[in-house]
Amino acid sequence: MKHCLLTHLTLLGLLGLTTNASARELPKVELQNYEPWEEATVHAFENILVQEGGRVKPIYTTSRFTLMQFSGKTTAKFETKDGEQHSLHHAEWMLDVLFRGEIAKQLPVFIVDDSEAVVQIGVSPKSRRDRYSYSELVAGRAKLAELSAQYSKKQQQFQENDKDEQYELGRIETMILTLGQNISSFEFLLGQFGFARKGEILVNGEILSPEFKEMAKTLDPVEMLTKMPEMTLDQLFQTVRQPVGDSEDERMFSDALRLFFFHANSGRGLDLFPPQEDANEDWRSSGDVMLEALEKKEVREWGTEQLGKIQAITNAQGESEEAFRNALQSFSDQQHQTAEDRGQGVRSEMEISLYRGQWFWRALYCFVIGFVVLAFSWFSPGTRFSKIMILLASLLALAGLVLDIYGITLRSIIRQRPPITNLYDTVIFITATAVLLGLIIEWFTRIGIGTLVAVVAGFAGMFLSVKYEAKEATDTITQLMAVLDTNFWLATHVTIINIGYAAGLVAAIFGVIYLAGRFICLLTGHQNKDLFKSLTRMNYGVICFCLFFSLVGTVLGGIWANYSWGRFWGWDPKENGALMICLWTLVILHGRMGGMLKDLGINMCSVILAGIVTFSWWGVNNLGVGLHSYGFTEGIWGALFSSWSILGIFLLMGVIIWFVERAKKADKKRAKSNKEAAASA
Amino acid sequence: MHLAKFFHLLAATALMATLTSCGDSSDPSVLVERELSTTEKGFNVVETSRERFRYQTQAPPTQGEATSGATGSGNPKLAYDTPEGWEEKPGSSMRDVNFVFGENGEGSCYLARLPGAGGGMVANVNRWRGQFKANPLTEAEIAALPKLALFRQPATLVEVDGPFAPGMGSTDTFDDYRLRGLILASSAGAVFVKMTGPKALVAANSDAFNQFVASLDVKTN
Amino acid sequence: MAKNSIDWSPGNWPKLLYQFFTSFKLATTVLFLMLLVTLFGTLDQVDNGLHKAKEIYFHSWFINETMGSLPVILPGGMLLMLILFVNMTLGAIVKVRKRWRGAGLLISHFGMLLLLAGGFITNQFATDDYIALYPGMSSSKVESYREWQLEVMPLSKDGQAEKAWLYPSDVLDTVRPDEQRTIQTEALPFDVVINGYSKNAMPIPTSAPMAASVTGKEIDGFKLSPQKPSTEAEQNLPGAYVEFRPKNGADPIEGILWAGSYYFDPREKPMPFTFEVGDQLYGALLAKKSRPLPFEVRLDEFIFERHPGVTTPRNYESRITRIEEGQPDKPVEIKMNEPMRYEGYTFFQESFGPAGSNPGDDMYSQFAVAKNPADQWPLWALVINGIGLGIHFIIMLVSYSSRARKKRSATEATS
Repeated sequence: MKHCLLTHLTLLGLLGLTTNASARELPKVELQNYEPWEEATVHAFENILVQEGGRVKPIYTTSRFTLMQFSGKTTAKFETKDGEQHSLHHAEWMLDVLFRGEIAKQLPVFIVDDSEAVVQIGVSPKSRRDRYSYSELVAGRAKLAELSAQYSKKQQQFQENDKDEQYELGRIETMILTLGQNISSFEFLLGQFGFARKGEILVNGEILSPEFKEMAKTLDPVEMLTKMPEMTLDQLFQTVRQPVGDSEDERMFSDALRLFFFHANSGRGLDLFPPQEDANEDWRSSGDVMLEALEKKEVREWGTEQLGKIQAITNAQGESEEAFRNALQSFSDQQHQTAEDRGQGVRSEMEISLYRGQWFWRALYCFVIGFVVLAFSWFSPGTRFSKIMILLASLLALAGLVLDIYGITLRSIIRQRPPITNLYDTVIFITATAVLLGLIIEWFTRIGIGTLVAVVAGFAGMFLSVKYEAKEATDTITQLMAVLDTNFWLATHVTIINIGYAAGLVAAIFGVIYLAGRFICLLTGHQNKDLFKSLTRMNYGVICFCLFFSLVGTVLGGIWANYSWGRFWGWDPKENGALMICLWTLVILHGRMGGMLKDLGINMCSVILAGIVTFSWWGVNNLGVGLHSYGFTEGIWGALFSSWSILGIFLLMGVIIWFVERAKKADKKRAKSNKEAAASA
Repeated sequence: MHLAKFFHLLAATALMATLTSCGDSSDPSVLVERELSTTEKGFNVVETSRERFRYQTQAPPTQGEATSGATGSGNPKLAYDTPEGWEEKPGSSMRDVNFVFGENGEGSCYLARLPGAGGGMVANVNRWRGQFKANPLTEAEIAALPKLALFRQPATLVEVDGPFAPGMGSTDTFDDYRLRGLILASSAGAVFVKMTGPKALVAANSDAFNQFVASLDVKTN
Repeated sequence: MAKNSIDWSPGNWPKLLYQFFTSFKLATTVLFLMLLVTLFGTLDQVDNGLHKAKEIYFHSWFINETMGSLPVILPGGMLLMLILFVNMTLGAIVKVRKRWRGAGLLISHFGMLLLLAGGFITNQFATDDYIALYPGMSSSKVESYREWQLEVMPLSKDGQAEKAWLYPSDVLDTVRPDEQRTIQTEALPFDVVINGYSKNAMPIPTSAPMAASVTGKEIDGFKLSPQKPSTEAEQNLPGAYVEFRPKNGADPIEGILWAGSYYFDPREKPMPFTFEVGDQLYGALLAKKSRPLPFEVRLDEFIFERHPGVTTPRNYESRITRIEEGQPDKPVEIKMNEPMRYEGYTFFQESFGPAGSNPGDDMYSQFAVAKNPADQWPLWALVINGIGLGIHFIIMLVSYSSRARKKRSATEATS
């Protein structure tokens, strides 16, 4: 009976989700129609290399996280005036931004969570939470710049003054600051290739004089480079700021310089060019190349060659899409040639396949469907049908696990590192471990409980990974700081301690299933002692497993700390977090051996274990102290507290069960003693 | 029964506890003599408490000097004293420190730092001179200009009088102005301190300028 | 079910004590209390910093604190670990029934005992100092991160000294900000009087606006303003008012000593407070406690690299040479995760300076220098523990799966 209810609820929820998504109206844009890029063009584009965050990666990755940063999604969806609906992939969107700026300006990609933020910059609001296009926001550009500069300063003061509350940014202020940063990054992208498009000035065009714009149509900054005297950035800057002389020549020269400066300045940010010298590792943006070539004559030949490649692309764009595509492809090919000589960008194809494959999304689907299938098995427990459903669900969970592991493996190969190097990695790794644990238990027990644990853990973990990635919206394949730069310890301590976390969470899922099950039985009057006995036994096994890995991982961490910092144990928050997991599992095991904890107690304690694991996994990073704060995430406390409240609800169930049991026992005892009394009388 | 063993252990524990509670504490009423090793023998005998307490800087240096690998910043911050009668204005992307002075704020003084040599000494001196319609100087003449300590390095002192055309978008010219400025150019970067204003006002603030320059230091925390 | 009555007669006390110290209940309680202490000690670091939280919660016998408005009254970390040690020794090693099934657990408890003992030895006997050098510099002493001592030395006119008289950090630390303490020395022609010592202080010029609110005495245009101790104990710069009373009856000389006059950059020299007694120049100074090394260390080269285009350091490493009795040894490389171990000392690449340096700048390298007799104990403990737990879980798994198989075949047989 209860199973039916659960199944129905789940199915209803899933149905609701899908219908909700498809029925949503798309934002309308000020474009008559939108002509999509040919698929081959996008493919030619996406493998262009960019150096960002200390790493050379395909522009596919950069555009993915840039769009995610702006919009919270990896696609841009909109409806044009002709009624057509469009959904742009991030690489297509980036192509528009770089090469069809006027269209990109119209696309609604800037998410604003509260319309109050746009009201404050003097832009008319749409719905409370909505996406805006650049051209919708441009009216408030000056105000936005002013406010975000102000809030950025405030934020800095907040950091510098020990997080003094008077400098803490409000919710709307934070939104305005983020929006300001996003708009500014967008403008840099728009202006990136401005130098290669004569006369097309896309950003802040309104502040430029008509003569200046006229000149921009004829002047080629790359050609200019070959004729100018050597100048440093400072000299250029000073000259540009000097008053214009009296003669026409001087005015021309000054305007030309100003234009050069304008393009060089807009062309910063996207580091596309591997440096000329082998020893140098910093890739250059077009703006960097322009300035460097201006400063040093010996760089000019190389510089004009690089800039010429971009001009070749923009020129080809004027001809036909095919020519454009070929130009992109040849740029990309040359770039890969140079990069591969330096051992960079070698695995960019694989990186694209990692994101294109959406392995973690697919795994998420597997776990969700697995859960639904498993729910069918509850209709008729013990039957052949139910057994098939459990098997099917287990296979789906296995498929999810394989997809997850495949994604993890790709990531490890791409960066040539063990699986875990940052907080995001821990999420997908812990999920895989938890699912694996669930399936192993299922293998031994074959009653569907292990599979239930596997699909629940898989669903929760994959969901968290997707949410976390969207929230951070930065590349999750990161470079390591010096202290972490050791594959040996990453592979041992970090991996083992995370297996411990996973086991702790699995134990908690068992605890939750136990408590919820017992509570439902209490309400419905069902009895299923065997099931609960074996649940506790499995849980006990998992707790032991958790202890083993946490303990070994913690001590290994201490030994690593002794190797790199000179002390085994420093009571650092992350160390303490791991210690707390060990201590709590030891409390459970010794409490059980000493007879203080019975089945109910063990399961309740395992739910608390989850609270300690999440504190250690996410909480201590955000105390803002200690050596281990590698993965700092803003605003995690809210999520943590709500997860602890949910655990609290299950604990409350446990307490109720305990009271009811005690009352029952007392009743029985009384009845017995009454009987005895009666008998003796 | 393992009672004997138990008491042994208890005794050992008690011993351990006493060990922890009384460490090797020193006699609080006497000084202890020690030889100084070769690297410890030299001391810096300074005249005033001001020097001893590092008060050429405003902020006291702290132990945080050695940054750990995780931090590390680009441009270090500046510490300085504001001369009397000067008013600090917010800086800009170009100006790290920005003052105005005089009754109507007609005098100004700013400090700017630029990466790279900033175009070199000669170009910069002559650029400043150019703003006052003064003739450019030769390299030798510039080398002979007086020096003033800036960040404990010799910086070239430039003083020019004349009609001042500040440029930077403004076409105004101010008559009878004076510039007193310092240029420090090295391959590591260039520092400019530039004070301009009516001649008499700049002359009157010459000491304040020197005082400001002398107080400049890089914040260590 | 008769309630077990306890024999409280004095003759039975040893037995009761033994029962108490060997009980599972005690183990569970102590572990639980340790969990609480760890939790509070972690949360407390947000407000009080690591060092202070460590002293209050983990290196203590009792805890009586308030956190926010919550009173925290618990046995301290030291006490708990001591009880745990006794409990484990008696309960899990002495009392436990020796049988094959329990072999794994017995071994792993030995590992835990070793770990705790190692922690105790580290806490009592290990030293933890640092040394900072520019390339080309050498030194044979290490300095404490946070222990300061008072030193007085006769100086030549050019600032050279051969000997110093020091007031050790452990006793200097006990001087309160409002306490006057007189210290005598037979070798020096004056007595030293400390008129209050603050663990963190800042000299304020009397011309500064904030000087008005500082109550201390003005000496040479300065007042010493006590500051709230920093949460990072290494950041504290102590200060003291001192007085030197010549034994010949001349007027006493007063001065302010401040730790900031010691050096921050390894190329700087300390700036003592100077005064004359008789015709001799003396210097007085708050200096970091230092310990001599049995060998000299010379920094040959420091290498610092960042990831391209970002500020994350990629690598920093130092090439050093040890010099023993004037004889240089062969060069050694020290980098992250690759310390140098020699004669009981371990040198770790810790950090570098000055602040804000970039690759290519003239930089110094800082090493943490640890000496710990129990340095490798945790490794042995881990090995023992891992073996023990491994054996135990294999035994458990085997027995569980054989039971499960039996049970399954039993149910299949019945159905």
